[in-house]
Amino acid sequence: MDTAAISTTNLTRRFGDFVAVDSINLRVTPGQFFGFLGPNGAGKSTTIKMLTGLLAPSAGRMEILGLDLASHSLEVKQNIGVVPEGMALFGRLTGPEYLNFAGRMYGLDRDTAAKRTAELLEFMHLDREPKKLITDYSHGMQKKLALAAAVIHGPKILFLDEPFEGVDAIASGTLKAMLQRMILRGATIFLTSHVLEIVERLCSHLAIIHQGRLVAQGSLEELRSGVQAMPADQRVLGAPAEKLTLEEIFLRIVGGSRSDDQELSWLT
Amino acid sequence: MADVAPAATAPILPDTGVQLRAIALLRWQIFKNSLRTMRGRLEVVSWIFIGFWFAALGLGGAFGIAIGSWWMISHNRSDLLAALFWPVFVFWICFPLVATAFTELFDSSNLLRYPLRYSSFFLVNLIYGSLDGSTIVGLLWLIGAAIGMSIASPSFAPWIVLALAVFGAANIFLIRALFAWIERWLAQRKTREIMGIIFFLIIIGFQFIGPLTQRAHRQHFQLPSYVSKAIVVQKFLPAGLIAGAIDGSVRSDWLSAAGSLLLLVAYAGAFCFLFHVRLHGQYTGENFGESASPETVPAERAETQSGWALPGLSGQLAAIMEKEARYLSRSGPMLFALVMPVVVLLLFHMGGNPNRPNAVAHNPNLAFPIGAAYSLLLLTNLIYNNFGADGMGIQFFFVAPVKMRSVVIAKNLVHSGVLALEMGLVLLATYLMYGPPEPDVIVATLVGVLFAIPLDFCVGNLLSLYSPKKYDYGAFGRQRAPGLTVLASFAVQALTIGSAVAVVLIARHYGTLWLASVLFGALAVVSWASYQAVLGRIDDIALSKRESLISIIAKTS
Repeated sequence: MDTAAISTTNLTRRFGDFVAVDSINLRVTPGQFFGFLGPNGAGKSTTIKMLTGLLAPSAGRMEILGLDLASHSLEVKQNIGVVPEGMALFGRLTGPEYLNFAGRMYGLDRDTAAKRTAELLEFMHLDREPKKLITDYSHGMQKKLALAAAVIHGPKILFLDEPFEGVDAIASGTLKAMLQRMILRGATIFLTSHVLEIVERLCSHLAIIHQGRLVAQGSLEELRSGVQAMPADQRVLGAPAEKLTLEEIFLRIVGGSRSDDQELSWLT
Repeated sequence: MADVAPAATAPILPDTGVQLRAIALLRWQIFKNSLRTMRGRLEVVSWIFIGFWFAALGLGGAFGIAIGSWWMISHNRSDLLAALFWPVFVFWICFPLVATAFTELFDSSNLLRYPLRYSSFFLVNLIYGSLDGSTIVGLLWLIGAAIGMSIASPSFAPWIVLALAVFGAANIFLIRALFAWIERWLAQRKTREIMGIIFFLIIIGFQFIGPLTQRAHRQHFQLPSYVSKAIVVQKFLPAGLIAGAIDGSVRSDWLSAAGSLLLLVAYAGAFCFLFHVRLHGQYTGENFGESASPETVPAERAETQSGWALPGLSGQLAAIMEKEARYLSRSGPMLFALVMPVVVLLLFHMGGNPNRPNAVAHNPNLAFPIGAAYSLLLLTNLIYNNFGADGMGIQFFFVAPVKMRSVVIAKNLVHSGVLALEMGLVLLATYLMYGPPEPDVIVATLVGVLFAIPLDFCVGNLLSLYSPKKYDYGAFGRQRAPGLTVLASFAVQALTIGSAVAVVLIARHYGTLWLASVLFGALAVVSWASYQAVLGRIDDIALSKRESLISIIAKTS
């Protein structure tokens, strides 16, 4: 059996009495573009934080590239790139300074870090205002910079927490181009996103977490098949299963429905 | 196309009182919520403890001032009142500037998203800004003065209270205006450079004042002419004016009293106007970002420069040190802290009595160690909250393949560099203003710092993880150190100063200050060993505290 890029065994995280992530078993094989979906508060960010070392699990085991994260954290971190929820940016550096810094933190020598910094800035269209501090960047620029910093060392796995949130169509296009280039080169990408259209277009495999539990995992086709096999009374939406979009599959699996009937009379 | 109805009338803004109550309720709710965590509860206990000291200072001082002012009025020595009001004025204005760890002026910028009238915004700033420690102590002292003088001369009580109220208002406006303008000047490189040049010229100017005052002293004047002039000039400054207003009234010289009070009112108005100018700028959404303005940035792509290479240090260490240095160089308040020890030396020098050449004001052998100790004290804001300014970037240290030990060492090295620079400045300022200190004093002071700094790093690194606080290098005077950190910092400074005093006494007993260097060296070995012991545990501690550390430092507001 091949070594999984990411695997978790009974991964659990509790905050007091609240179980945010409940014994999840994930398996992501190398080269997959993996989408990790779930409603707000389902446990997506908690899971990705645990997988990237930002949060300690309460129980369970995590392996990245066959290495136990708890005992080989530095080796694991050397091989992954992360764009966490807060983007991990140092606001009072300029873009070039931050990328240079990130490159050297991942062990690149000065010249390589500088060369890759210049290339990434150009690719991301961030090279026009080199003296601008990151704190003065737009949200989209910050997302692009955070992604550039996450890939500067050529990671084998990329973890992205909501990379398309608050990003305009132009920046989104640049981000997608970068991610697809990484997949072509054999990298594994693990992303969480609420933008299901993008996930549907980009991801080859998906997992859905709901109330801390993993409720579905597989390729889009496998998820469709799973939905098809559901009892008829659970099919909230009328479309045939083979034509269901990811959004419809998602809503059917997590049991959600749009609520338009409640009125806010004061909101004109 | 859908019709959009134009707003027929101006929107009805909420009442100022309602908004003030809402803000008070918000702050109360934030305070209550903070008690849910152990850290929050410890913080409250710490500030209660610190509050006792402030209360003792405020009430004790008020009692002393009440007695002093009562005596002056009842013994017809109201001409001495200026000697009472100047210390009040200097404390009120200088304490928040030199002890920024205690100072947290209300930051109202977040309120601008709400429909707040400018008058409400101004009022909110003024009221909540007046809850600062030095203002409360200053007000208590003025109440003490009012009580003392009113008992001595009840018929003048209304006038005295009126004059003191104006004086208090002038001080409140002045300190708020000072903070607002200093923050403005420190916000951009250009204005920082102008301030730096002015400050440098003042220091150079003192090279010439020194010989002049010495010459005046040699000519056996009772009072040097500049002191006589200063006594006249002070009568036209706020503390002199309040003294003049009360002195004039008790002498029934109402023309002089009213003139002084009117001038004091004019000062209060001027300070209020200066404060208003800055606040109005904030209200209208000004932004003094550090970035170069778009017009000055060349359109073509700038060549990316390689990062720092520091001999003997790994690339990671060099990169973190470069990042830290860039952060500090872009921090106006930190640069302000860098020059404050020199300012303090300057103030000591100005305030000294030329007839007492052995006093601090004229003794380089005292001035240099005091300047060095104060430099170290100022750095505690940095050292005891290592990660405070990292913001969202704190996450990077946990996702990158770097040991927290390396991060902490890099930060400590940069802070050591800042201290070394500051010590150099203090030595230069001492030399220029006071004359050269003795070599044994210089060496003992430097070795003493070598003892103190690992101790500070040792405690500071632990508190940076156990009691972190988000800190914005761009804001001035709007952020206070955590109470626990202030208390621990006090304890370490007390230990350091106590050890230093003991060492110097032993050295003096044996008649050579060189012995102090040896003893400080021995203590430095102990503090260095403690530092190493903490470093050995820092990765485990950082991992165990990472969640609270990230949630506090990386919070968005």
